[in-house]
Amino acid sequence: MSRTLTFSIFRHNPGDPGSRPGLDVFTLEEAPGMTLFIALNLLRDEQDPSLAFDFVCRAGVCGSCGMIINGRPGLACRTLTEALPPRITLLPLPTFELIADLSVNTGKWMRALSERLQTWVHLDEETDPDRLEEPMEPERAEAIYELDRCIECGCCVAACGTARMREDFVGAVGLNKIARFRADPRDKRSEAQYFELIGDDEGVFGCMSLLGCQDVCPKSLSLQTQIAFLRRKMVQIGAGFA
Amino acid sequence: MKLIYTDVLVIGGGLAGLRAAMGVRRRGLETLVLSLVPAKRSHSVAAQGGMQASLANSVKGAGDNEDVHFQDTVRGSDWGCDQIVARMFTHMAPKAVRELAAWGVPWNRVRKGRHEAVINGERITLTAPDEAHGLITARDFGGTKKWRTCYTSDGTGHAMLYTLGDRAIAEAIPVHERKEALALIHDSGRCHGAVVRDLISGELSAYLARATIMATGGYGRIYGVSTNAVINEGMGQALALETGVARLANLEAIQFHPTAIVPAGILVTEGCRGDGGLLRDADGHRFMPDYEPEKKELASRDVVSRRMAEHMRRGKGVNGSFGKHLWLDITVLGAAHIDKNLREVKDICRYFLGIDPAKAWIPVRPTQHYSMGGIRTDHRGESPWLRGLFACGEASCWDMHGFNRLGGNSVAETVVSGMLVSEYVADFCASAEGNLAISTSLVEDFVSREHGRLSRLLATRGSENAVHLRKRMEQIMIEKVGLFRNGPDLASAIEELRGLLRAARKVGVRCQSRAANPELMLAYRLPRMLKIALSATLGAFQRTESRGAHFREDHTARNDRDWLNRTLYQWANEDDELPTLAYQPLDVASMELPPGFRGYGAKNILEHPATAPRQAAIDKLMQNHERTERHALQEALMPFRHLLPERYRGNNERLSEPLP
Amino acid sequence: MKDVPIAATSCGPARLDLLQSATGLFLALFMWLHMFFVSSILLSKDAFWTVARFFEGYFIFGRPIPLLVSAFVGFIFFIIVAHAALAMRKFPATWRQYRTFWSHMRAMHHADTTLWMVQLVTGFAMFFLASVHLYLMATHPELIGPYASADRVWSGRMWPLYLLLLFAVELHGGVGLYRLAVKWGWWSSNDPLRSRLRMKRAKWGLTLFFLALGLMSLAAYIKIGIAHAPSAGELYLPDWLQAQP
Repeated sequence: MSRTLTFSIFRHNPGDPGSRPGLDVFTLEEAPGMTLFIALNLLRDEQDPSLAFDFVCRAGVCGSCGMIINGRPGLACRTLTEALPPRITLLPLPTFELIADLSVNTGKWMRALSERLQTWVHLDEETDPDRLEEPMEPERAEAIYELDRCIECGCCVAACGTARMREDFVGAVGLNKIARFRADPRDKRSEAQYFELIGDDEGVFGCMSLLGCQDVCPKSLSLQTQIAFLRRKMVQIGAGFA
Repeated sequence: MKLIYTDVLVIGGGLAGLRAAMGVRRRGLETLVLSLVPAKRSHSVAAQGGMQASLANSVKGAGDNEDVHFQDTVRGSDWGCDQIVARMFTHMAPKAVRELAAWGVPWNRVRKGRHEAVINGERITLTAPDEAHGLITARDFGGTKKWRTCYTSDGTGHAMLYTLGDRAIAEAIPVHERKEALALIHDSGRCHGAVVRDLISGELSAYLARATIMATGGYGRIYGVSTNAVINEGMGQALALETGVARLANLEAIQFHPTAIVPAGILVTEGCRGDGGLLRDADGHRFMPDYEPEKKELASRDVVSRRMAEHMRRGKGVNGSFGKHLWLDITVLGAAHIDKNLREVKDICRYFLGIDPAKAWIPVRPTQHYSMGGIRTDHRGESPWLRGLFACGEASCWDMHGFNRLGGNSVAETVVSGMLVSEYVADFCASAEGNLAISTSLVEDFVSREHGRLSRLLATRGSENAVHLRKRMEQIMIEKVGLFRNGPDLASAIEELRGLLRAARKVGVRCQSRAANPELMLAYRLPRMLKIALSATLGAFQRTESRGAHFREDHTARNDRDWLNRTLYQWANEDDELPTLAYQPLDVASMELPPGFRGYGAKNILEHPATAPRQAAIDKLMQNHERTERHALQEALMPFRHLLPERYRGNNERLSEPLP
Repeated sequence: MKDVPIAATSCGPARLDLLQSATGLFLALFMWLHMFFVSSILLSKDAFWTVARFFEGYFIFGRPIPLLVSAFVGFIFFIIVAHAALAMRKFPATWRQYRTFWSHMRAMHHADTTLWMVQLVTGFAMFFLASVHLYLMATHPELIGPYASADRVWSGRMWPLYLLLLFAVELHGGVGLYRLAVKWGWWSSNDPLRSRLRMKRAKWGLTLFFLALGLMSLAAYIKIGIAHAPSAGELYLPDWLQAQP
């Protein structure tokens, strides 16, 4: 039951003055166990060596290969073609700067986000690494890791109606990061400091709860719960209840 | 021509590179990191199972310390490692874990009281003492005497890389993403930085620095199937090799991980077996105890991989649609354990195999995984031949892994080497040698040479197809430079790879854009990959013994008498088709742990003449020091602390070894 | 780390977000009650007459005071305007943003995203439809009754407006309540996906229930309106009042 797949792939290289945006159509014989990683590499190896896309780990952990797969953002490396219809449309993730074809600059966006939201543990002082580490409740450590699993792939941003309309919105990725550091006792920031970072319309109060983020997150992070939690906490501060 | 000046140029934004950059930054130097991809996408992120450090907090880690970790590491290396470096490493690993703990890595913690574990296929109950509650716990890994591998579920590399990546942002370290170094700028044995290509715009610039640190990872992608990320093409090693001055070492020491899924080659962590998972054959039989009754599934990686291949050769492999494989059975661990501690494994099984590992066995086979060899450096991470060039992490061969590394030791090495090398780099920069003195014309020469190369590639469509050449190289490496090696195969591989290198010089590029052009990237990377492949193959051909991961069917003995040494590679002339090899002996007389039997299979060793005298000397010394405290005893056996940066010389605290 | 006081100016968005939710919640709950009151016509004309007079204070003051209704209508109108103004902050501000959202929604095939557009459209529609209704109620509060209302619906040709308004209100309110629940994390559990699915089912259930109730009530008014058309304008008096001399 081998199928012939038809790929419509967005093509544009902004660095090449002769390039105009458009869709290129390729066909490929499907093979068992074929992922979009395998398919795209075959297309590049055999049909068009200039086809640009990003893969790094090709195992669903590095977050490089987010793209719009038949309308929805997802990780290309772990998307099996057998889960898709024979006509497959691939577009680069919107919101992020286009590098070429399916390659976008999520790294630049994420670094700017990190700088803006100060996504690191704010320490009061350095510890002495010769000494026993500070104990932490096992459940707490597990809860932090749960929130730490974001791979900055950008799918949540691309799936967010708010982020699509308003480019300054921090997105689920940004809110989840604040939730991660808030949950971490090593981060010594106060609620008020978190409020200064996300207590506005570019932050948690810009979220319209469309939940595109929740439904596309490749790591199934509890974004809905985390954002709701942050909203309650931040409103307590912002509306003067706390 | 764009010139960018900094004190320390770090090439590579993975764990090693980021930690090195932070180290020099904290010493007040300016630094910047170059990265092929956004730093948090580096291959470090894929490390799953954990990082070894002898904290001795977990029940089964009781009694662990640097000495035990050191011995495991040296045995694991099949005595091929530099024992001074292994000592420095094991001394530093607890500090590294604790530093990361303070910065935010959510290490899994010890829970006091009783909890279940699976050991040797059976459920047992362990009871953790109250005083360990909340300290960093550890899991079992192959080739270790104690449970020593600290972890965060099976996303340890992710948690570490994100913590370090964020820390680097906090300390305002610039990371220039999507930049590729094309050549090291050097003259008279001194490295001055690199010619760098912007992978988005295609623009070339020169990054000039007092010291350059290579932290570019391994070269697994010269193999057609590898657990490595697609960016691990050995460009760091190739750049060092192409200087003609710096040397690489032990490239033939290539590790095959026992459990990569079939056919994708994606790793499932050693933690699967560490937590109690079993290997089974076509009959569902657990076969490892038949071969290695003592360590079973948790023998050293090289041993397990070889036993698996051996078992498949005996016809016990499963005939899958993608060739022969074996089964990894973690159903014994139960769904709850998998959901909590092996969730990436679960995801990988779900997305790439369509199975639930709590219910079904995972198809696995040994797959290229790690490069023990790399840019040869001294214990400070500096190339002895090209001053100002440092290396750390998998890219380097300061040689703590020898011919086989233990699982969990490379993740630890990345951070430890970053911590140490950054201190030595800072010292170097502070020394008289550390000044940047370079003429503009030299920089121009290097940049225009790279520019010329790219222009030549773009000017011709070429008579050879880079994709085909690369595929052939990958195939040769899998077939002839794999787990089992032999003279004739290696010889034919060398011949064919030489042909490919000649052909690679005739490759051209169809797509004419300098910006974001993947075809151009392959065209200039291919000859470099081939040089690494050729070097590794030649090294494997010459080394007529079996040591660690390097196994010769035609020379099955470990030959300490003739081969207790390190292979060095130099690419003396650009037009050469083969590297020049040299050998650097290991000094048995100064070893803390003289060569011995690892305890796997039958003893098959040709002894080094210095081994027996050294062992006798050590035995005598031990007798005299029966009551000596262990640190002092160690100091008497093989002093190493004086080599460490002063700030890291202190002892590590443990529950059983409190610091004053 | 030391606590930094929050600048008063930065509290705006938090308060506005809370107010948007609060006004929305109030209006949605009010609309449900409203629907129950209106549907009392399904019980009997007397029932509806009693409900209408009740809100005019008839049973407290002994005589109807329609001004009370006018005042309450004014209050509701104020809440609606406030809610609309708060919600408009989230609307696409430019044609470009609107286009982006529209194409995003079409590509995603994602129910919760599409429902937002439903809210936007129904909210927009309600602003006009509800305004007409509220104006009539505020200016003629005494004309709320079994005959007067039915005459307005049928002889006054208002039924198309009420039909549209009914759908707009129920969709908007149902989606809005569901959105409030996920937005603030109400009724969430350890398995947020399952609780969300349950909430969504409940939301559709409630919407269908109130639509059905609304349609039945509207049909009742139309039926009364048709029958009462010849004497349109005449007010209803319950039997027990007619019986008095």
